[in-house]
Amino acid sequence: MLILQRKEGESLLIGDDVEITVLSVESGRARLAIQAPRSVTILRSELKVAAQTNREAADEEASPLELLGVLKEQGGKE
Amino acid sequence: MRLKTKYFGEIECQEEDMLRFPNGLFGFEEERDFFLLPFEGSEGTLLCFQSVSTPTLAFVAMNPFSLKPDYAPVLTAEELKAMEAERSEDLCYYALCVVRSPVADSTVNLRCPVVVNDQTRRAVQVILESGGYHMHHLLSEFGRKEEAASC
Repeated sequence: MLILQRKEGESLLIGDDVEITVLSVESGRARLAIQAPRSVTILRSELKVAAQTNREAADEEASPLELLGVLKEQGGKE
Repeated sequence: MRLKTKYFGEIECQEEDMLRFPNGLFGFEEERDFFLLPFEGSEGTLLCFQSVSTPTLAFVAMNPFSLKPDYAPVLTAEELKAMEAERSEDLCYYALCVVRSPVADSTVNLRCPVVVNDQTRRAVQVILESGGYHMHHLLSEFGRKEEAASC
């Protein structure tokens, strides 16, 4: 894995047609500008995990009604 | 309107209760219309988002505040604008649940709540950036309120 440092306003190139510019870095957050062809998919990586979690949620292994028992046992509700 | 559901058979629903997800849900971007239906006997803590176009598709959801009373989702300015709300507290939140067998292994997604504007019936699923919430909280984390401080 390549690791490099960039300052605000600096950019880097990936291949011939993807350019990523660091716009600003503030309190641990980097704001990036990405220039890429339309055919390139750009996703925040947590989006992929969120979609996978939803797919798991849509495919339940047990009856949701069994959850009621668990919730009551824990007294999660007053 | 008649609605075919995954858990409740065919039922009668009022069209004005339908929720519109302009972006769908993550991984289910084509699914735009849902009804939020409560499971009987849960006193509103256990519900499901039933897809209108796909009867076999329903997401089990929980009231995150009954699991975790100090749950405090904060939306970005952009998300609030899209939901036509001024403050995060003005919207309703539901956490989707992965129901596992055994059921005690089930998890709940506090990081990606479904957010509903009760007035407009508009809904969106977001990824919270703050609060330190995860996508897979074991249900067993909750309940013993004092000990569940690790998350």
